[in-house]
Amino acid sequence: MMKKICRFLSPLLIAALVLGSLPVVAASQPTPGATLISTEEALSAESGQTHRERIHTILAREDVQEQLVAQGVDPAEVEARVAALSDAEAAQMADQLEELPAGASVVGALFAVFVILLVTDILGLTNVFPFTR
Amino acid sequence: MLTSRIRYVENARAEGVLVWHKQLWRMPGLRVTGLCLLLLLMSGCAATPQLAETTQQRLPERLLLDDIPFHGQRDYQCGPAALAMVLNAQGVDVSVDTLIPQVFLPSREGSVQPEMLATVRRHGRIPFVIEGNLDTLLTEIAAGQPVVVMQNLSLPAWPLWHYAVAIGFDLEASEMILHSGMEPQRVESFRRFDATWARSHRWALVTLPPGKLPETIGEDAAIEATTAWERLQGAKPSLPAWTALVERFPDSAMGHFALGNARHAVGDDAGAIHAFERAVANDPNLAAGWLNLGLVYQAQGENHQARQAMQRAADLPGRWQTQAEQALESLSQ
Repeated sequence: MMKKICRFLSPLLIAALVLGSLPVVAASQPTPGATLISTEEALSAESGQTHRERIHTILAREDVQEQLVAQGVDPAEVEARVAALSDAEAAQMADQLEELPAGASVVGALFAVFVILLVTDILGLTNVFPFTR
Repeated sequence: MLTSRIRYVENARAEGVLVWHKQLWRMPGLRVTGLCLLLLLMSGCAATPQLAETTQQRLPERLLLDDIPFHGQRDYQCGPAALAMVLNAQGVDVSVDTLIPQVFLPSREGSVQPEMLATVRRHGRIPFVIEGNLDTLLTEIAAGQPVVVMQNLSLPAWPLWHYAVAIGFDLEASEMILHSGMEPQRVESFRRFDATWARSHRWALVTLPPGKLPETIGEDAAIEATTAWERLQGAKPSLPAWTALVERFPDSAMGHFALGNARHAVGDDAGAIHAFERAVANDPNLAAGWLNLGLVYQAQGENHQARQAMQRAADLPGRWQTQAEQALESLSQ
C-alpha cells in the first residue's frame, strides 16, 4: 500500500520540485538590454559548466538545508548557513557531506588502533596522544 | 627412548607454536595491526619537508605572531575555536559561542571545510584557501597572517580531523608553532606537522578584509573567493576587493570584468565602462565582457559604441552569442 502511494507520489514530487525551481533558473538568465551577465555566470561559463550542472547547483541548496537539519543543526540557523555557501560549496555539500572530513571527530577506541597509533605517534607520523612528543 | 621423547616434545612445541600463530592470526585486531605495520614499512616513513631555497632566504629564522588570541576548544569544537582566533586577530568581535551554532555539525561532532569558509563570509571577512605547501604557509605567517590548517592527527583509516591555527615557525629547529586544541603556542616538528597536514591535502585558510589579498594567492583562487563573498555581501562592500585584485593581477580579464559588474551595480557606469574595456583589452575573446560593455553603453545612451561592443560579442561563438544577437536586435529597434 505504502509502496503504491510512494510510486504514485514520487513522480509528482519530482515534477513539482523541477517546476518550482524553473523560475529561479530563468531569472538567472538576464534579459537583453536590462541585466548584465553576472560574474558568477561568466565564471561558470568559463569553467565549462553546462546549463544542466547549473540547475543542479541551484537545486543543491535545498538539499543541503535538509541535510543540515538532519545533522542536528538548529533549523533557525540553517538558512543563513546555506546562504553563505558558494554555488560550488553547496554542490559539494549536497553530493558528499557524509564523506567530507569534519574537524574534531573521534577515533574509534579499539585497542589495536590504540597500539598502532601509539607506534605511529612515536614515529612522528601522527599526533593523537599528547604524551608522545 | 630419550631421543624420541625429545622429538615428541619438539614436535609438540612446534605444533603448539603453529596453533598459537593461527590463533593470533584469527584475532582481528592483531591481524589489522600486522597489516598496518606492513603498510607502514611499505609506504616508508615521512621525511622532514624541505623548503624551497628562495623561500628560506626570504623568511626570518624565527617568527611568532604573539598577538593572536587563543581560544581553547571545548568538546570537539576546534572549528569554531580556530575561526574565533583568526577573526578576533582581524578585529572581528565574535565569540566561540556565537560561532558554534553557525559552523558546528552536532551529529558529525565537527565542522566541514565549506562551512568554515561560509562562516568567515558571514562575519565580513573573505576566506582565501591558499595553495597547500610549507612554503606558502610560512610565507603567509611571515606576512603577519595566522593560517587555519586542517590536520588528520591520526591515520587515514581512523581519522582524527582537527583544525589548528598556525602562528609561527622556527626554521633552525624545523618547528611549527600552532594554537591547537587546548594548547596555546604548541610546538610541532615540521615533520610531524607536515605528515598530519598532508592527510587533508594540506588545506590552509587565510581570512582577510575586502581590499587585502594573501601574499601567495593565485589569480583564479582570488577571483573565486571574492565572487563567493560578493554573492553574500553584495557589490558595494566588494568594490575594494575587486580593486585590490586588479591591482595585484592587472592582466586579469575576469578581475576587470568583475570590477565592472560591481561598479555597475552601485551605479558607477563610467567606472564600469572603464573596467569592461580593460577586461576585453586583456582578453578580446571574453564575450561576456563585450556584451556587458555594450549593455552599459546602451544604458548611457551611447548607441553607436553599444552596437560596436555587442557586435564583438555576437561574433564570438559560445554561451553568450544568442544573447548578444538579441541585444543587438533590441538596439536597432
